[in-house]
Amino acid sequence: MTSSTASTATPLRHAFERRVEEVKPMKSDINALILDYLTTEGYPSAAAKFSKEANLQPLQEEESVRARQQIQHSIHLGSIQDAIDALNDLEPQVLDSNPPLHFSLLRLQLVELIRECNSKPGGDITPALTFATQQLAPRAPTNPEFLEDLERTMALLVFPPDNLEPQLAALLHPDLRRSVADNVNKAILKCQNQRRDAAIRNLVRLRAWAENTARDAKKNLPARLDLGLDNRDDRNENGHEPMVT
Amino acid sequence: MPTGAPGFAARRSSYASVVSGTASGISQPYQQASRSGALSHLLNQSTDLGNYDPSPYGLGGHIRHDSRTYDMDFGTNGASHRSSGSWNRGGHLPSFSSAYGPILDGNGFGGTQGDSFFVPSYLRGSKYVQRLEESYKAREQAHVDGPSTQSQSGSLSTSGSSTYLQTRLAPSHRGMTYDLIEKAPPFEDENLAPLPSKWNSQDKFGGLEVMSDGQEVKLTGPKPDRDRDHEASSIGIGFSSKTVPLSRLPGWEPDSWAYHGDDGHSFGSQSTGKHYGPPFTATDVIGCGVNFRTGSAFFTKNGDNLGVAFREIKGKLFPSVGMKKSGEHIRVNFGQSPFVFDIDGMMSVSRDFPEFTFLDLATNLSNSHNLGLIPGTQLTNRHILRRRSSALPTQNSRPSNVAGAAERPAECNDDKTWSKREDEKRAIHQEIASTSTAKLAPPMNETDLIQSLVLQFLTHDGYIETARAFADEVHSEKSALALDKTTVVESFSVKEDKDAGHRQQIRTAVLEGDIDKALKYTDLYYPAVLQNNEHVLFRLRCRKFTEMVRRGAEMLQSNHKHTAKKSNGQNGDWHDGDWHDDVMNQDMEMDNQQNNNNYDRMDTEEGSDNLMEYNQLTQATLNYGQDLERQYRNDPSREVSKALSDAFSLIAYQDPLNRKEVSHLVDPKGRVAVAEELNAAILLSLGKSSSAALEKLYQQTAVLLEDLRDGGGSGAFVNIDDFARPKRGL
Repeated sequence: MTSSTASTATPLRHAFERRVEEVKPMKSDINALILDYLTTEGYPSAAAKFSKEANLQPLQEEESVRARQQIQHSIHLGSIQDAIDALNDLEPQVLDSNPPLHFSLLRLQLVELIRECNSKPGGDITPALTFATQQLAPRAPTNPEFLEDLERTMALLVFPPDNLEPQLAALLHPDLRRSVADNVNKAILKCQNQRRDAAIRNLVRLRAWAENTARDAKKNLPARLDLGLDNRDDRNENGHEPMVT
Repeated sequence: MPTGAPGFAARRSSYASVVSGTASGISQPYQQASRSGALSHLLNQSTDLGNYDPSPYGLGGHIRHDSRTYDMDFGTNGASHRSSGSWNRGGHLPSFSSAYGPILDGNGFGGTQGDSFFVPSYLRGSKYVQRLEESYKAREQAHVDGPSTQSQSGSLSTSGSSTYLQTRLAPSHRGMTYDLIEKAPPFEDENLAPLPSKWNSQDKFGGLEVMSDGQEVKLTGPKPDRDRDHEASSIGIGFSSKTVPLSRLPGWEPDSWAYHGDDGHSFGSQSTGKHYGPPFTATDVIGCGVNFRTGSAFFTKNGDNLGVAFREIKGKLFPSVGMKKSGEHIRVNFGQSPFVFDIDGMMSVSRDFPEFTFLDLATNLSNSHNLGLIPGTQLTNRHILRRRSSALPTQNSRPSNVAGAAERPAECNDDKTWSKREDEKRAIHQEIASTSTAKLAPPMNETDLIQSLVLQFLTHDGYIETARAFADEVHSEKSALALDKTTVVESFSVKEDKDAGHRQQIRTAVLEGDIDKALKYTDLYYPAVLQNNEHVLFRLRCRKFTEMVRRGAEMLQSNHKHTAKKSNGQNGDWHDGDWHDDVMNQDMEMDNQQNNNNYDRMDTEEGSDNLMEYNQLTQATLNYGQDLERQYRNDPSREVSKALSDAFSLIAYQDPLNRKEVSHLVDPKGRVAVAEELNAAILLSLGKSSSAALEKLYQQTAVLLEDLRDGGGSGAFVNIDDFARPKRGL
């Protein structure tokens, strides 16, 4: 009933915007969302500072967050062996109990070896081959997807790195590191009986879904729903620099 | 009987027992308050968990005792058989149903506190229910706050509807009555349609009597009969709009739809029925479901779905029942207890995700009386309904609406929709989880977007240290991910922001309850803000007063504890509500205890010190209160007078920290709102948006979901809190 009765003839200020302002999210909810995010996704210093500044009980000790973050960081850097070692120290059962995760780490390690060898002309492919044979090949038969992943990865050795089909190029993109790191992080959290996805991700997706669905349903919405991330600088001169670059 | 019968009955009686327990006035007011407090606490928790199963919680605790009461209530229900026709209308059921009417209504049973909030299984976890619950709590709160305010805000709307009801009540020439349960939503939330929870004891035909907890209706009145009705017994179950006359069975009048027990026909706003289902009679359980999304309705009988009865149903509908014969007696389950029909199952199965909301009335009818409560039976009872003979209805479908209605009869009752609905919900949640966020703020991907939102929030709200730490960590992450180590990854820059720091200082002061400090800083850094925002200043002053009361109460409490402890021996095991607030005081006590030998003396000394300090504080508090009163008493705003009367009500209690009536007013949580209001005012004075982008995103999401809920859209099963609130703590 609150819906779109407002006339579209008032271009100045859409009824939607007015309603948006009437929603009063609880600060405590937003703060909880932030702390959850910083903790879950592994920003130990920020999480610790935030619990102090916002006067919130830390969700996890800083060291635990940092341990996870360091593993992620190693993966981001491409130092997969470091990550595996650290993970085995921290939560030895994670990899044992999760063969696909283990495989994806090893596969990433293979990607990194190939990247290394591709990076210089005449690079030696032996380390990559040896690693594939010793570490990945024995696991591949246990799961058809492993086999496929392995084959695709090995194809990187065959094709020239500067002219790969998109599917192969994606393997070399840093996003693969990020997603493996995310999965490792989630697996650790799960193993520690913590929740997995940061709630803020759900919220952001919900926002995207709700707008899509509302537009599909032809609800009366402004042409663009601005988050206020970019134009805040226009509004106040002594504001901050753009946040993201 | 459905297989779940025994459990069903038991749970049901536990619910009933709670209600009747309160109704019977067993509890002292104070106990009641604490009971309802406990209940809402449970509800709270369950909200966090995302669902709520009413049966296992605290309700069970009262079963035995209360069910006795329940029995007694039933005992009074004997009836004679006279014929009459009438029907009731039950609660509002716009898109969903809901449950809080009772408190407000005041015309119910068992006094205003006897109703507990319940969530029908098929609505569990829905945002709608949650809003209802909030509203319910707010109302309870208001109720507790004091009758004066309540009646003010409540009476407007209530009287609106009761006037209306009066009219309705004027005996209609046909001599039947109805009940309408309409609940006037008290304040705010005009948009929130309540769930039906019991029969309205006003909007009914005169001969009908609403009994016990409001879920039963019986026709007792001497019947003006129309010739053709004498022997007839007929019960009509369905729904109708508010304007339908109450003198005839639902279904016969325009804007009413019902399934009649005598012939099993369905009547869609006309006096000729359509062949629909089997007849029903005493001991049958009939369910009625309306799918507001498709505009169709179905009935169930003893757990079997009889199929679609009506289509193209619109409008604001109220569950309605009507009966013709004296002694006929119906009990309705609005969802307080599990339904006989698997409504939850139905919800999860239906592909197109119908928003089912509706009413499910599990009704029972009966004619007679004695409902002894047999433990395992459905509560409702057995009464015998006489079969009806004639009356108008007959076959003949009505042309338009019932297009597809040849189906089968249905009965409904309802229970199980729960799992289906969960499936629906899961499907939507999956859809949401896989939604791309790429369009939100191109070219950022999800991770970048979230990092930006978080950083912007931190700087906007003045968490500067955090913002810096976060910017560093993000920078390090991005650098690690960069393949080309020579690329310089630009870092977020977090500028020194004096304002942010000042705002943070002010916020901290308020959150610590140090209002004077907050006022001082605000005047220092933002002298114009309080001048231009009188209401913010007022809020701060009220809070200051509250904090003074709070301090006094804490003093008293620690003193009292001390005394209590002494009388218990020093290891007395007192469970005092707020002991953790008083760690300091405890420590002090510990110290004292080291001198066991003369703790009496120390008590006395300390007591008198405390007493003096306490008296001074009390005096200061009173003075401050008088100032406040003097300054604002002429303020016409209702908000102001409400705030003042709330604040002053604190003085009336010796121990406001532990009095349910007012403890929420002194809770430190109340500081947050004040702090944020002040912060927002400062931001506005600086020409900044009062909310960070993340908050805006939240707000937009809330409004979008609201739109999507309209007309039972897919937003109905999506509760923003399921997404925005971290579930389990790390």
